[in-house]
Amino acid sequence: MRRVFAVIERDMRKFSRNPVIMVMAVVMPIAYLIILGNSFQGKLKGLPVAVVNQDDGYWGRRLDERLKAVAIGPKTVTLTYMSDQGKAVEDVRNGKFKGAVIVPPDFSRRMALGINPEVGIFVDNTDQISEGALTGALTDAVNSLREVFVSVRPDRTVVQARRVELYRMVDYDQALVPGVVVMAIFMGTMITGVFNLVMDRFLGVDEAILMTPVTKTDIVGGLVVSGFIITMFMATIVYIVSALITGITVFGSVSRFLGILVVLALATMGLLSMMFLMLGRANHPRIVGVFSGFMNVIFFFPSGAVYPVEGFPKWLRAFSKVNPEYYAVHALKSIIFKGNPLWAIYGDIVFLLCFLTVMMTLAVVTFKRTL
Amino acid sequence: MSLAVETFDIRKTFGELTAVKDISIQINEGEFFGFLGPNGAGKSTLIRMLTTVLRPASGTASVGGFDITKEPDEVRRSIGVVTQNMASDLDLTARENMDIFGKFYEVPKKARQERVAELLERVGLSKKADELAATFSGGMRRRLDIARVLVHKPEILFLDEPTSGLDPQSRRVVWEMLQNFMKDYNMTIFLTTHYMEEAEALCTRVAIIDRGSVIAMGTPDELKSGIPGNDIVILTLSREQENVRNLAAAEGYVHKAQLENGDLRCYVDSGSEDAPRLMKLATDAGAEVRAVSIQKLSLEDVFIHYTGRSIREEESKKVSLFLGAGVPSKLGRN
Repeated sequence: MRRVFAVIERDMRKFSRNPVIMVMAVVMPIAYLIILGNSFQGKLKGLPVAVVNQDDGYWGRRLDERLKAVAIGPKTVTLTYMSDQGKAVEDVRNGKFKGAVIVPPDFSRRMALGINPEVGIFVDNTDQISEGALTGALTDAVNSLREVFVSVRPDRTVVQARRVELYRMVDYDQALVPGVVVMAIFMGTMITGVFNLVMDRFLGVDEAILMTPVTKTDIVGGLVVSGFIITMFMATIVYIVSALITGITVFGSVSRFLGILVVLALATMGLLSMMFLMLGRANHPRIVGVFSGFMNVIFFFPSGAVYPVEGFPKWLRAFSKVNPEYYAVHALKSIIFKGNPLWAIYGDIVFLLCFLTVMMTLAVVTFKRTL
Repeated sequence: MSLAVETFDIRKTFGELTAVKDISIQINEGEFFGFLGPNGAGKSTLIRMLTTVLRPASGTASVGGFDITKEPDEVRRSIGVVTQNMASDLDLTARENMDIFGKFYEVPKKARQERVAELLERVGLSKKADELAATFSGGMRRRLDIARVLVHKPEILFLDEPTSGLDPQSRRVVWEMLQNFMKDYNMTIFLTTHYMEEAEALCTRVAIIDRGSVIAMGTPDELKSGIPGNDIVILTLSREQENVRNLAAAEGYVHKAQLENGDLRCYVDSGSEDAPRLMKLATDAGAEVRAVSIQKLSLEDVFIHYTGRSIREEESKKVSLFLGAGVPSKLGRN
């Protein structure tokens, strides 16, 4: 046991002499949270739209007012008035505008007579997200043309679906916090644990250690534990800072915070062991860099941290079911946003425990104590 | 006298390359044994097998009375190893490096502290004890490497080219240190080197290894006495080298005439007497003598005598094509 502690002490001391790496590993997931949170969240605003209104009749002016209301109210679009229909469509093609609204000269007459009034909406459908927002805003503006008044009394014959919110509203950037914390854990596993072993091997230092009485278990266990301590510290900082930035309750009750720590601990140990299993025989830090960069993406996106796994194709959903990050993210979301106790997420906890046990055992068994 | 190290037809192969070919040697307790050979000869591979980090392909060895394949833990507890690479952690201080190594060997705290202080004093690093190893010179790091593996008082100390890359002054400091440690701590030392003068200065017995096989073994004097003559006359000739070699070999006073890197090496009893005769012989044969020198026999000559080439002719290392030239492949870890 004393030798395991010596391995831990050596690793921790060495790591403490490189604080820059630790700071970077903490800062990067938080920067990721800020950038991703602000990149994805909120409705699109200021989409440039060309308007060619060739109808100066009542309905033409009314449509124009509706479009201006969209531009001023939700600010979804920025309108540019043009007279040349062909030029407007051409400018959509060359990317100057995201869309063009063409109101034909007989629009008011057709509206008045009720004979298929049409408004042309030309959209750049290579950008699906912008197109969806633009089409939605413009269609709403067109469809609301005939809404002259709002009914005071609801129609009692129509079935009303009542929406009941079980939890308080979670903003998109808040929803990212569990994923960002799990990403911090993964980054921790990239710079501790097996990475230090590979670095020793690369520098030729491992040989001197293998020639001492330290055992396989001492080496694997010691490096995983020291990696665990460092990564837990980093992940906890990332969680606290992310929670403060996004306005999530940091600690809450003792059981809530302990629950978070338990999930972080299980995910950290599991991922450290997995990395040890996969990279325990690598002999160049470059391999760790390339491999772990790849693994980070492979595990992070199918974890449900950014997008619900229900939106994935079947094969990717199947992968999510064996992805430890999926269970960690799910467990953290349950505790952080729903206030669930650990027993309510026992499925996640059991998976993470099993994953850790299998990975740690395989890491020790497959680790080669010779050169 | 009991044996500290004994190998039994030990062999190691890497793919098609046989790095160590059925070596059987015996090293007595208290000996300073040198393993001499050029890079790639198999020295490091043998030391790695003896220190349990490489498994022999066949054969085995006993170190400190323990079988390296069956009792590796016991072997590791009884040895200290200074590897070819400087292995002290740069991010740790000298004291931390030694203390942690003591913990690897489970040396009790009080004994460890006393031993660390004593060893740091002996290797001249007391004043630098709490400075990071990264700030040390090559010689200081090497001294720390040696001190670090002595914290647990090993019975046998393995040193794999311990002075490789050090300047002559640092090398002599290390030699003196090793001699003192051996005397004071009653250890057996197994040293590999490709420096002839190192083997001659330190070792009580030397084995010369080339291409995985031991080609000669004995005390330095025994090895030298195995070569005919006392001196070597070296003639640098501009032409007719082969012809002059044949003529010299036919002379009664020349025990052996050998061409090595274009130089004619004649083994004679008295260099001062025989050099003029050899110069005349060469000139008469139509050769132009561009330089002449007389050398006392050394282990270098023993190596040349047995292999026909200089120990300094290094073989190229193989590197991993997958990882790039920065990283030697397993074969290249010699």
